[in-house]
Amino acid sequence: MRDIAERVLDTADSLGASYADCRVVQRRVQVLEVKNGVLVRTTLSEDEGTGIRVIVDGAWGFAGVDRSDAASLDEAVGRAVRIARASARVSVHPVRLAPAVAAVDEYRTPVAVDPFSVPLDRKVELLLRTDEAMGRVAAVTVRQCSLEFVNERRFFASSEGARIDQTIIESGGGLDATATSSDEVQTRSHPNSFGRHQLCAGWEAIEEMGLPDSAERIAGEAAALLTADPCPGGRMTVILDATQAALQVHESCGHPTELDRVLGAEAAFAGTSFLTPDLLGHFRYGSDEVTLTADATSPRGLGTFAYDDEGVSGQRTVLVDRGTFSGYMSSRETAAEFGMPSNGTMRAEDWSRIPLIRMTNVNLEPGTSTLEEMIATTEHGVFLETNRSWSIDDRRLNFQFGTQNGWEIRDGRRVRLVRNAIYSGVTPDFWRSCDAVGNRDEWSMWGVVNCGKGQPGQLMHVGHGAAPCRFRNVNVTSA
Amino acid sequence: MLRSREECLAVADAVLALVPGGDAEVTVFDSDSSLTRYALNAIHQNVAESSLSLRLRLVAQGRVGVAELRGEAARPERLVATAEEARRLAPVQETLPPLPAADGGSDESDGYSDATALSSPEDRADAVATLTRAAAAASLQAFGAFSAGASQVVIANTRGLRRHARRSTASLSTVMRGDDGAGYADRHAVDIGSIDVRGLADEVIETTLRNQRATVAEPGVYQVVLAPYAVAEMIEYLGYMGLGALARQEGRSFMRPGEQLMSTMVTIGDDAHDPAGMPFPFDWEGVSTRPVTCIRGGVCADFVYDTPTALVDGVASTGHALPMPNTSGPSASHLYAAAGDDDIDTLVGGVENGLYVTRFWYVRDVHTLRTVITGMTREGTFRIEKGRMTTPVRDLRFTQSIVDALSSASGISRTRSPQIGEDDAVVLAPAMRLDRFTFTS
Repeated sequence: MRDIAERVLDTADSLGASYADCRVVQRRVQVLEVKNGVLVRTTLSEDEGTGIRVIVDGAWGFAGVDRSDAASLDEAVGRAVRIARASARVSVHPVRLAPAVAAVDEYRTPVAVDPFSVPLDRKVELLLRTDEAMGRVAAVTVRQCSLEFVNERRFFASSEGARIDQTIIESGGGLDATATSSDEVQTRSHPNSFGRHQLCAGWEAIEEMGLPDSAERIAGEAAALLTADPCPGGRMTVILDATQAALQVHESCGHPTELDRVLGAEAAFAGTSFLTPDLLGHFRYGSDEVTLTADATSPRGLGTFAYDDEGVSGQRTVLVDRGTFSGYMSSRETAAEFGMPSNGTMRAEDWSRIPLIRMTNVNLEPGTSTLEEMIATTEHGVFLETNRSWSIDDRRLNFQFGTQNGWEIRDGRRVRLVRNAIYSGVTPDFWRSCDAVGNRDEWSMWGVVNCGKGQPGQLMHVGHGAAPCRFRNVNVTSA
Repeated sequence: MLRSREECLAVADAVLALVPGGDAEVTVFDSDSSLTRYALNAIHQNVAESSLSLRLRLVAQGRVGVAELRGEAARPERLVATAEEARRLAPVQETLPPLPAADGGSDESDGYSDATALSSPEDRADAVATLTRAAAAASLQAFGAFSAGASQVVIANTRGLRRHARRSTASLSTVMRGDDGAGYADRHAVDIGSIDVRGLADEVIETTLRNQRATVAEPGVYQVVLAPYAVAEMIEYLGYMGLGALARQEGRSFMRPGEQLMSTMVTIGDDAHDPAGMPFPFDWEGVSTRPVTCIRGGVCADFVYDTPTALVDGVASTGHALPMPNTSGPSASHLYAAAGDDDIDTLVGGVENGLYVTRFWYVRDVHTLRTVITGMTREGTFRIEKGRMTTPVRDLRFTQSIVDALSSASGISRTRSPQIGEDDAVVLAPAMRLDRFTFTS
């Protein structure tokens, strides 16, 4: 890897690049998927290649190449340089990068058990047991469960002298039970929806998920939802479970604090942000209960690493401090516009794509409450579990989310299961109505594996630490 | 630049020659693509990538294993060894769908253009310069992306199937922003030379200048005219929610064959051979793709099939498979809504008091069986008063059943444009007038 990087950087220098960096990436992925008692997928995949980023004539160029012979690498560097020169033809001002320490370092995700060392048959057996447990519920007609393991080695080198070798290990898994009747379809998932929950961790994370032990209960919940009452409508108190709180953070805090969005780089696609620079330091984003951080040092998050894909060290940045908007996630280029150093959030999906500002682990910091306290002190409201639907406008203000499960609360008690719950609002109004956040014991790290951004599109794995939290006077309805 | 056809076929043959026994299906995917992004009237990201991916499905003794390799690792020996490792460890399945045999379909299609495949970064920069100059002349800022790419696919299996086809796509999208509002337009084509950059600039500038200082429209049920950009999103979601046979077999589809669910004006289907819709001749099993009419005159008709779902229903695959095996089932990836007889002025002229919507944003399903989706309007929503488009309104959230909306269709444009969805599905969409459409906030 080092030899590839050195050749790329030497060639870029000889072709006139004022700056160059290079990521050599090797990625292994193992996916197992069981559906209705059948192991549908046993897929082993490997991906290797090099991403080359250069600045020439003050403009960016990038080329990704899947071969590592000298001729292919030289051709790819030449392509990146030519692209940069074309960029310079439609340029307003030359690219400036905030200074960064040229680190020489190594990092590896700490794991108790390397997931690739666990025999495949043990993984298959776990999935089949999970499937069998879901199958005990007759109304469940579609049963799916899966495991995914990732080992990615990234070698980053820059013309400024950085040489960083990182290995990231991820383990993920989950189950979905779908119950059907003539007029209704309901799905329940565990530990999270959309296929799986994932962490930067080893096999131990899979064992902690308790897939077989949870399967029958979750399947029973799917069946019960078929005949549950529709969620009541109106303005009421909403309590979100930690997984839904994590997605709420993702959409309404994570994305709007990406500084490239704020500066217009994503305006044509992902959108912009309501959190404009003039609001920094004084805008009331949420209540005093709300502190949000971007923390690449949080243990086990999918955004946990030692260095980002510009070679900047992973760090903790406060985005919202006890309700006040106080920070952005930045890159070297966007930070330079404010005369600040990057806070290390540039990440690329793989070797073939450029790094963009991406969430690391955007966390809702723990509060002092508990779920049971929140329910016990709620006169009328709903407790909502596990995301089913999510949508938010291009400035990250007007949102609407649906959840798989809902419980109506009356006089401090859960009184009935309700289905097809939807809640909606406007981001700062919603977070200002937050009056309770779960404490450290109820706080956990969640993984989102389908965060989309950029053109060409990139799916990033990001983390969110969250606990159950409560909001007052929220608009609730039923689909 | 893409490799030669012969080189890709040779890779596939080399893989099959190494297969130790049983059935095997190899996929060779060769791609080369470039994309230029611009914001604030300047290029800010500009990228290119090329890669060769290999995929092997091994089926023997009731066990299936799959390997996928890209890059330096993508070599026949490694591919076969990795797939065999996965296969050997998989449990035995009592029944496995067979690999399809060659069906005699043609590999010819109109989906490839050398001009697109060989376009240069300078070509794209020149097009972007045309847009940014036009924006600046109108005191606007331009943002967007111009992509051009080509790929080729070889699918071959041990039952004698051996297919090869190329495709190319050029896409130019633009948002322009003024002091207090924005507009949007895009173009997609097989041949980059057919993209009218100046025409795109004129369209988006007109929308942007019209969409300044929008006022609030109250939520409620409106008569609407949806531009093709918005109609395409609805049709794409309809395909995802229930036009595949697996959704019906699992009880998740809204489709009730023979039942009239939509206006008689509405015909929706999938046709991978339509030259206007980025054609491609076969699916990911190498089965020739056949046109399927899913909604005919508002009546639920047929589903798209892959080999496993066709086996269940005792019919032939329609050639809509995703890479096998998968849990998603067949996918309609060349969707269309049939054209009508109207032009945009006629559609708008039939609205007494309603809204014109340029495009939707962040559409997500809320209730699949009822085809309920939610999303926002974006970059060009206008009041229609007494048959004329008048003042701009601020973006609105809608929450609406697609089937219910299409049941109220009262006009469809005669012109259509190809749109490319989030999952690369192509949708050939007209503009539509819908008499009932619900905005919720």
